[in-house]
Amino acid sequence: MKQEILQITKNKVKEKLEKSDQKIINLSLIVEKLQLKINELTELLKIISDQEYPSIDQILGIKDYCKFYLLEDKSQISTLNFKEEEEIKKILDYNIGITIEKDVKEITNKLCKNILELIDTKEKIDLKIDTLIKENYINLYNIATPKIACKMIEIAGSFERLSRYPASTIQLLGSEKSFFKALKFNKKTPKYGILYNHPLIINLTNKKKAKIARSLASKIALGLKADVEKKDISKDLINKIKTKISEINE
Amino acid sequence: MNKQIILKNQKIFTKNNLTEKVREWDPNRSKVAAGIKKGIMPNIKEDDKVLYLGAAEGYTISYISDILTKGKVYGIDISPYSMQKLLILAEKTENIIPILGDCNKPFEYNEIIKKKFDYIIQDIAQKNQAEILIKNSDIFLKEKGLALLSLKLSAISQKNHKKTIDDQINILRNKFRIINQKRLDPFEKNHMLILLEKK
Ligand SMILES: C[S@@+](CC[C@H](N)C(=O)[O-])C[C@H]1O[C@@H](n2cnc3c(N)ncnc32)[C@H](O)[C@@H]1O
Repeated sequence: MKQEILQITKNKVKEKLEKSDQKIINLSLIVEKLQLKINELTELLKIISDQEYPSIDQILGIKDYCKFYLLEDKSQISTLNFKEEEEIKKILDYNIGITIEKDVKEITNKLCKNILELIDTKEKIDLKIDTLIKENYINLYNIATPKIACKMIEIAGSFERLSRYPASTIQLLGSEKSFFKALKFNKKTPKYGILYNHPLIINLTNKKKAKIARSLASKIALGLKADVEKKDISKDLINKIKTKISEINE
Repeated sequence: MNKQIILKNQKIFTKNNLTEKVREWDPNRSKVAAGIKKGIMPNIKEDDKVLYLGAAEGYTISYISDILTKGKVYGIDISPYSMQKLLILAEKTENIIPILGDCNKPFEYNEIIKKKFDYIIQDIAQKNQAEILIKNSDIFLKEKGLALLSLKLSAISQKNHKKTIDDQINILRNKFRIINQKRLDPFEKNHMLILLEKK
């Protein structure tokens, strides 16, 4: 009897843990933490590198900054194909950076390579998350965009739970903290959660934002139901949202 | 009192009947142990069948297992991560039976269990904690059976409203007689442990 139940439980546990949504949630957690580590290590690198090449970190993102730092002969900067090339050249021409000893440079180069390695790992994970969402939840992927889709699954805790949420919950997803704050201080409750970052919403005026967020949330709710049934109705839903936006803009 | 529970120098221990091993039971990690410190004796008999809702990784269940020299404890939890660890514990222990399930849907695991219990322990931080206990005791608890419920007050009411909490306790009164109830401070903040008897 006990053996039977143990076997049932084992199978169920494995089945649950092997589901794509759980993989997505775990990978997304790793990506978030990895990004923090990358930022932290970059700060360490800059303690020294910023004195050698002041202000360059203001111009380049972390990945390009590291590539620039590792380039041995800075006069070859055009090989890196940065659009910020002219700006950087100007700063280099001021020639106010210090020169550091070879053995210290070896250390900072190593640190820099470590950072690039972590960035590479992070990009591989991002790609895997993207593929997992696309392969399994195509409507959510297309309507919500991959980043927001991932975040929504993460907040809900599972795809199954997310797919059962009504549109009103989806619209507010991610605003839970500010939602309770608003209730507590009798402020207006927020009208949008992470959906606020959606490319179709982010540039609208506040008044329009709320309207489109509502429509978008309802389409996502429909899309999720279609994902459960493995049907792709995303094109149709996106067209409906776009119609709504042009109506509002008239 | 169950003879596997040993109180000594302000500390709580359990003794395993088979291995003779004595282990300390930390009231900061287990609400049942915290309850003992606060004067709620769980009154679990050595041959009871216990249903444990919200078993997690099995810290408390491992002590319940010691207490049940002739009984069994069925542990339910919804988290597959916790269940992996509970499974490992269950492999090592004769009388722990782990089940992955949602305590809001007791009919689902009733298909596997198909048994009545003498005792239910519940430690789940959900808004409808009282309702979950009632649903489960309707199906599983024998008449006059006992239930030990840990109520996380902040899960019921964000602002710790006395009325909301009283409402939950009143729901329980319909089906149970309250034997004892205590807050678990300083071991757990915002928790109340309630010992109940099914009417
Ligand atoms: C505070 S922990 C329990 C700790 C455990 N009683 C101990 O002392 O070792 C609460 C547990 O309830 C589980 N849980 C939450 N909602 C549940 C539900 N609807 N059904 C079953 N378990 C649930 C969580 O996964 C978590 O493991």
